[in-house]
Amino acid sequence: MRLAWITLATLVAACTKQGSDKPSSRDGVIAAWKKAGLEPSSFTPATTQVGKDCVSATVNKLDVLICSFGFEQEAKVAEDNGLAWIGDATGASRAQGSTLIVVADRHKADPSGRTINQLVTLRTK
Amino acid sequence: MTLRWILIVISLVLVASAATADKKYGKQVRFAGIHPIPKAEGGGICYIEGPHVHIYAANKIEYRTHGDDNVFVGDPVAYGWDGPKYTYKGPHPIHVEAVVGGDPDVEYCYLDGPHYHYFQPPEGPDFKVVGGAYFYVSEPPRVFIDTRPTYVGINAVYRPIVYARPVVEVEAPVGWVGARVEFIGPGVAAGGRGVMVAPAARVGAEVHIPVPSVHVGVEIGGPAVIVHERPAPAVIVVPHGKYKHKKYKGRW
Repeated sequence: MRLAWITLATLVAACTKQGSDKPSSRDGVIAAWKKAGLEPSSFTPATTQVGKDCVSATVNKLDVLICSFGFEQEAKVAEDNGLAWIGDATGASRAQGSTLIVVADRHKADPSGRTINQLVTLRTK
Repeated sequence: MTLRWILIVISLVLVASAATADKKYGKQVRFAGIHPIPKAEGGGICYIEGPHVHIYAANKIEYRTHGDDNVFVGDPVAYGWDGPKYTYKGPHPIHVEAVVGGDPDVEYCYLDGPHYHYFQPPEGPDFKVVGGAYFYVSEPPRVFIDTRPTYVGINAVYRPIVYARPVVEVEAPVGWVGARVEFIGPGVAAGGRGVMVAPAARVGAEVHIPVPSVHVGVEIGGPAVIVHERPAPAVIVVPHGKYKHKKYKGRW
């Protein structure tokens, strides 16, 4: 009985932590970009095949999609859907923990890919 | 009628499974790690680390496939790379997973002489550092030797490129793979003759036999490269006109 309570308490704690991480991960990513001198426009909710909880915007003329997932593995699996969202353009789809960052250079604004690299590699503190 | 429908369904299934297996979307081509951008696409270097996509192809001689991705195994400095660089001399293996992640995968670089990569080899006895350059000194796996004819043409691609090449002015360590007979052949040893070179470049070769040293001096736009090598079992001089670079001219 005691073991069942401990297990239940652990699960509740894990779920609570997961839930509280979601907004901070996404906000943390955007904050890291701004700190690095990138200029994101306002993010708005996006309806895509990539995930159920996504927002999109432009950052330095690049199209960016950020999706939050419940688990890291879900974000990793969704990387391929991110590639589909990019379409016929240069881009990258990279999971950072339970957050998926997808960047598409549909207007050839970043020919060397330096900004794309910043967007998918900058880590939140 | 029924047979036709069965064939249609089978065709659709095959097409769908092939698309899934390729993990490609539209015209996308998958890359991993930094790499040169084709001249037709503007040239220079793509600085995206890790997996990403473009809508242009990777050539067969400077790239190796690693899972679904194309990984650049040439010298990025030749194309303007200004990031970290490490000097190697002669052919060597590349542990691709250590460079771009993914499953363990060993590929091979067949560039002769001094060249750069943007990654270091893994620590261990397979490489010796002499004069600031990495020399591969281990027993080469059979596949390393067998696939050489497919990729050794990469030297003809780089020879006419004018850039600051690394300078290696030391005697190669004992066991260096570049001195083995399997790694001496067309485009390897004193292969400067008959090679198309940029107007300002000069390529020269002096071969002394049986004096126990080979002195090769090459100047192509950048610092001179002077390499003192241990005597090889055979020296093969590439005939005039062997490599005209037409196959790759203008592609990269």
